[in-house]
Amino acid sequence: MIEAHKLSKFYSRGLYALRDLSLSVGKGEFVFLTGPSGAGKSTLLRLLLRQERPSEGDLIVNGHNLSTLSRRDVQEYRRGIGFVFQDFKLIASRTVLENVTFVLEVLGVPPAQQRRRAFQVLKWVGLQHRVNAYPRDLSGGEQQRIAIARALANDPLLLLADEPTGNLDPDLSLEIMNLLREVNAGGTTVLVATHDRELIRLVGRRTITLDQGRIVEEA
Amino acid sequence: MRAIDYAIREAWASLWRSRGASAFAVVAIALAVTVLGALLLLTSNVERLFAQWSSAAEFSVYLRDDATSEHRGAIEALVDRSGVAAGREYVSKAQALSRFRRDFTELDGLTQGLDDNPFPASVEVRVLGEAERDGRADALVQRVARLPGVADVRYDREWLGRLAAGLGAVRSVGLTLVLIMALAAGVTVAAVVRLGLYARRDEIEVMRLVGSPMAFIRGPFVAEGMMQGGLGALLALGLLWVGFVALGAWWGGQLSLLLDGATLRFLPLRLAAWLVAGGMLVGAAGGFAASRHAA
Ligand SMILES: Nc1ncnc2c1ncn2[C@@H]1O[C@H](COP(=O)(O)OP(=O)(O)OP(=O)(O)O)[C@@H](O)[C@H]1O
Ligand SMILES: [Mg+2]
Repeated sequence: MIEAHKLSKFYSRGLYALRDLSLSVGKGEFVFLTGPSGAGKSTLLRLLLRQERPSEGDLIVNGHNLSTLSRRDVQEYRRGIGFVFQDFKLIASRTVLENVTFVLEVLGVPPAQQRRRAFQVLKWVGLQHRVNAYPRDLSGGEQQRIAIARALANDPLLLLADEPTGNLDPDLSLEIMNLLREVNAGGTTVLVATHDRELIRLVGRRTITLDQGRIVEEA
Repeated sequence: MRAIDYAIREAWASLWRSRGASAFAVVAIALAVTVLGALLLLTSNVERLFAQWSSAAEFSVYLRDDATSEHRGAIEALVDRSGVAAGREYVSKAQALSRFRRDFTELDGLTQGLDDNPFPASVEVRVLGEAERDGRADALVQRVARLPGVADVRYDREWLGRLAAGLGAVRSVGLTLVLIMALAAGVTVAAVVRLGLYARRDEIEVMRLVGSPMAFIRGPFVAEGMMQGGLGALLALGLLWVGFVALGAWWGGQLSLLLDGATLRFLPLRLAAWLVAGGMLVGAAGGFAASRHAA
């Protein structure tokens, strides 16, 4: 699913956010990305979402070489990727249901199908009873579950999560992680960046530790 | 199709959300279209009257008092063969005098005392419209003037020429003004539409992250600009219509006298439709420019 070969990213010469990174993540894997602040976790996820281009080396995801994607191809590529961020990125002016149908709408899905799929994923994250609420009326954990529902709406092959539990207390964090594990059990490859070592220990999956842009440990 | 549907809904919402600023952009478009519309209204009417006047063109060939009937026959033959004339009429000295007396009764005393009839006989030639425009009438006038027995040929087209030149000048100055105003209106629309970018920045970020096609991302901005342009153009047409009706109500009497019975006409439907389309195009261009910041 993900092949990185001597992958580097720098913002100014000599200051590497990622350096000569080589890794391979298979289809259907669940992988944690951890390491101290500034290690390069978010940078790798930004590269995987093609928000930025690699500076050197190769990054191949699901057959797409991310260094050479055209603008149009980037759109196509992103349709196969789900994302979850620490700050949820929900749209405040839209209801829970609309937050999910919105992404389906702007991907050109017909209206009837939008609602059907949205109810399906919202039920799946256990929020089918809050469809008409607005994000501000929900707890942090509930908001993140909506973000996960939204990420799943388009049936992604790969789900990227950057500190998805960064704003949540430990109980809620574990709940979100279990949800992500279920997503993974459904066949989606999941990559989670977190510095919560306790959480990683509780979930117990493949873990890649970064420091100063390099892989320092794999377990 | 779905992108268009989405764009229109989002554009309406945005238009309403920033209605104060949108009104500003609508007015900017309306001003430009009003000036363009007024210009078209003026030139189309003047051109129509111009055509009417041109088709009524005629010239008079004044005969010398010693001209013979052979001279007159040669003149008439030349006129008939030229293919320039729609008709001709011989006006004898006596007819010319009585015509003068009829048209200027108050000057009657002036002619009473004369022993001699001072008015020359003439051949009046009505000119075909196309011959007038393509210069064949002028050529004929010059040839006729050289014939024996001809005292003078009066073909007074200069004022029409001056009118045409004046109209041309008004048109080019007006169009330049319209171009500048349209540009300013487009820039205003772009600035106003850009305000919506801020209100929708969260949505746009999500759209980009999920790989939404460009049509969905930029479409609403283009549609919003287009709506502002269309509304502005409709407003302008309304203003022009009110102005046109008011003009007719206040000065209708004097105008019809001045125009010799001809009437003024409002912009034809097709032209009005073009103006709306033009307003929408300028608005869409402004919206499109603004949407660059979303892409
Ligand atoms: N846009 C940028 N311009 C310059 N430097 C950047 C930029 N983005 C990231 N960096 C640098 O790259 C390095 C890696 O940052 P990154 O955000 O990937 O770390 P992280 O592992 O996600 O840290 P955290 O745990 O704090 O989120 C840091 O040194 C950071 O300062
Ligand atoms: Mg980070």
